[in-house]
Amino acid sequence: MTTDHDSDRQVVVQLDGVHKEYGDLKALDGVSLEIRAGEAVAVMGPSGCGKSTLLNMVAGLDRPSAGTVRVNGHDLGGLNETGLALFRRRQVGMIFQFFNLLDDLPALDNVALAAQLTGTPAKQARHRALELFEELGIADRRNTYPAALSGGERQRVAVARALMNRPALLLADEPTGALDSRSGEQVMDLLIDLNQIGQTLLIVTHDPKLAHRCASRLVEFADGRVARESALERQL
Amino acid sequence: MSAVWRASRAAVKRRRLQTVVIGLVVFCSTATVLLALGLLDAVSNPFDRAFEKQRGAHQVVLFDAAKVSAGQLAETAGRPGVAAAAGPFDQATARLEKSPPGVGSGAFRVVGRADPAGPVDRPELRDGRWATATGEIVLNEDGDLVRPELLGSKVQLVDGPELTVVGVYSSMSSSADAWVTPEQMAALHPTARQMLYRFDAAGSAEQLESGLASATAGLPAEARTAARSSASLEEAFSGTAKAYLPFMTVFGVLALLVSVLIVANVVSGAVVSGFRHIGVLKALGFTPNQVVGVYLTMVSLPAVIGAVLGTVLGAALAQPVLRVAFQGVMRGTAVVEVSPWVYLVCLLGLPALVAVAALLPALRAHRLSAAQAISAGSAPRSGRGLRVQRALGGTRLPRAVSLGLGQPFARPARTALTVAAILLGVTTVTLTTGLTSTMVQYADSGKRDGGASLDIRVGRAAFEQTEPKLTDRQMEALLRSLPGVERVSAQAISQVKLAGYQQSSAGFFLRGDQDPGDIRQIVEGRPATGAGELVASPTFLSQHGLAVGDRVTLELEGRRTTATVVGKSIDGDARFFFSTWATLLELEPSAGAAYYDVRLKPGADVQAYVDAVRAAEPGLYPGVVDDGNLAADTVVSFASVFTVLLTVVAALGVFNTVLLNTRERRRDLGMLKSIGMTPRQVTVMFVTSMAVLGLLAGLVGIPLGMVAHRVLVDNVGSVDFPAVMKDVWHLPELSLLALAGVVIAVLGAYVPARSAARLTIAKVLHTE
Repeated sequence: MTTDHDSDRQVVVQLDGVHKEYGDLKALDGVSLEIRAGEAVAVMGPSGCGKSTLLNMVAGLDRPSAGTVRVNGHDLGGLNETGLALFRRRQVGMIFQFFNLLDDLPALDNVALAAQLTGTPAKQARHRALELFEELGIADRRNTYPAALSGGERQRVAVARALMNRPALLLADEPTGALDSRSGEQVMDLLIDLNQIGQTLLIVTHDPKLAHRCASRLVEFADGRVARESALERQL
Repeated sequence: MSAVWRASRAAVKRRRLQTVVIGLVVFCSTATVLLALGLLDAVSNPFDRAFEKQRGAHQVVLFDAAKVSAGQLAETAGRPGVAAAAGPFDQATARLEKSPPGVGSGAFRVVGRADPAGPVDRPELRDGRWATATGEIVLNEDGDLVRPELLGSKVQLVDGPELTVVGVYSSMSSSADAWVTPEQMAALHPTARQMLYRFDAAGSAEQLESGLASATAGLPAEARTAARSSASLEEAFSGTAKAYLPFMTVFGVLALLVSVLIVANVVSGAVVSGFRHIGVLKALGFTPNQVVGVYLTMVSLPAVIGAVLGTVLGAALAQPVLRVAFQGVMRGTAVVEVSPWVYLVCLLGLPALVAVAALLPALRAHRLSAAQAISAGSAPRSGRGLRVQRALGGTRLPRAVSLGLGQPFARPARTALTVAAILLGVTTVTLTTGLTSTMVQYADSGKRDGGASLDIRVGRAAFEQTEPKLTDRQMEALLRSLPGVERVSAQAISQVKLAGYQQSSAGFFLRGDQDPGDIRQIVEGRPATGAGELVASPTFLSQHGLAVGDRVTLELEGRRTTATVVGKSIDGDARFFFSTWATLLELEPSAGAAYYDVRLKPGADVQAYVDAVRAAEPGLYPGVVDDGNLAADTVVSFASVFTVLLTVVAALGVFNTVLLNTRERRRDLGMLKSIGMTPRQVTVMFVTSMAVLGLLAGLVGIPLGMVAHRVLVDNVGSVDFPAVMKDVWHLPELSLLALAGVVIAVLGAYVPARSAARLTIAKVLHTE
């Protein structure tokens, strides 16, 4: 579901008849979906309905059994493992429910790492990471190891890492699922701010509050299919 | 089915690869350990076993019959320190007029004994029976083969009777060449009496000497004419093997160390990586002892299978290996085999080692609460590892490389064990390549230049051979005149006494063309070229207290001449020396060659030459000589076998370490891949983490291996390697060796690293 205004914008994500099977289990059953630049799309549905599988397909973390996935002009089906890695490096940023930070690196190095993998020199990468830390209000925690950070702080570090290479698309898998309500609020505010400055978002969540606060469009999943799509009014 | 068994079985099933790795490591280690222990045991024990079985004589002593009576000798049996004695037996030294092929020439020690039983020296029956009547003789034969043709054959003594061989026995005491009845002995006019002693204390050369002194105390002076101790017999028995015993010992020790380290690393790693699982088991209600039981069962299962299969492989390898090692060794009735205790150690010791290695971390888990165990399983590391990671993050290195470099610091204990294993692997490779290089040069030094080598013996009627019609000089001229010949030298062998020494030595006297190879054989001084010059082996010189430059007096049948030691050869028998024909003429003016050493031109037709020799002079017996060096071949073969086994074990250890790291870091890997780390970068990261350990191990292991090589080659008593054979290290070799550790590490790391690179991210992150 898109508006006329939306249709002028570039398509960032395009899924066409995507199927994914794990043995006898159909995780995705012919999903077709478009997300345009600047959109914030929330995907909701019961457990096991295929939400996370959809996210994995878009992130290039998994391959569909059938159908095509195009992200920012890249047909992911045509990329090999290295191609997918380069795609993830440049085109998408991911935020996970359980943060997935490297425990043996301080917060700033966790974030700088994403840029260093692209060949950015360490000093430059740290400089860029520090800018993000300042924007996200965690600059004073830059030298702290993940184990000593609060949940909200860890998730902000994860957001900083996801933004490090200026991705075309930010993917979030239950970004507030492991956080207390206050930290969850902070992360939601952060996602809204990012979307307002033009960052395209795809959020998978169980949390209606997160969907309604952060997303402009809601995609509801059931049994591996898109059951319903609707535009959302953001609840500030 | 008990909960412990059910959980263990599930754990084994879930960790198939790790189970296979533990099984493989224990399998290779068991085979290596069995081979190492088996060799060490076989080199030292077969003589002792056979010697004790025959109640061998610690001293075989010869007395002058004119100076001491049989009664006086019989009384020595009761002297302090004498545990048992046999004799006196009359002994005659005879010369053989005629004997069956292969039965000794020259001096022949015949002893009169009524039977082979007695408190000391019980020769073992190999064929026939003991002599019971005059006209009968029993031979003492060594070696594996029983020769039925000997029974019934005749032995003709010079100026004595013709005797019929009625039996073949073997004496580990080497107390005689043959035995006859006491009645028959009387007819041989014996001049000596033999006593055989066993002592209460016979563990060292000193004890053997003091036992002999105690037994013969109070007997008339100069009554004792000769004595031979069991130590010298054992020396003769394992002399060949002892040339490479130090090598074997080091290989064995290295193999044991590497195997123990790797097994400990693999097994303890398996338990440590299972801490989270241990926490879950505890949370489910498993008692601490049940948890320990689960983990011991889990690692013991593949360990027992590995140990059994490894023992089977080791046993299969040991027999051919021992056959090679004991080729050409005088064995008597000794059976060269691996002792049962070695099998027992392997079958029980390796699984026990695995159990201990598993028990230590399992006991740590035993003490942890469920929550602590779960958090330990996925815990962030702390301290130095983090600081190193951080420091590396700021370097200019590619991030995959710097991450890999930091990984070893996350698990210092595991890293230390892995480094130790690779280090020992590199040390072994360095040592074995050095030894191989030394031994190849050593073998080459024994090879003669040119084509095939022929040993042409002069026929002797005593050996039922045709005697030559031509004279010594005519035969030499004949051999030189035949087509294809390059060099000819004549040799005579005589038992020569060195003035001041009781035992006589075999002198090899050479005439004719000198082989350039002879010069390579000289480690100090030069070859003997003129009259009154001799060259001998390091053992000959040390046993006679001689050095290059010393002068000795040689005696042969009443004639004397002086000779100077002008050179020391690399190796050689302690009983032999080499001199010139001119020296022999001083001692025996009418001497003739016993055989000729002929070297053909490269490519010459050996068979045609042999046929020509036989046709021209039927009294010449040509044989082709193998220039090979048994000791060198043996060491090189062993070095190769151990290098392969230890490299495989070390690589498996690395493989296991990377496997554990991969398993522990699955979540990190998933995350790194999700932010764009390519499969190649993942592989680089893991391979780097091990390659850096390999490099470190290489830098330490190479000097260690070089030192071990030098210590070894300097301590082979029977061989004195010249500097050129010891200085085997040059820059290209060292550069290659520096890569050895890296290669071992990369070999072990590559496969699990590739598998880590192929992890499905979605699955990993989902399961985490």
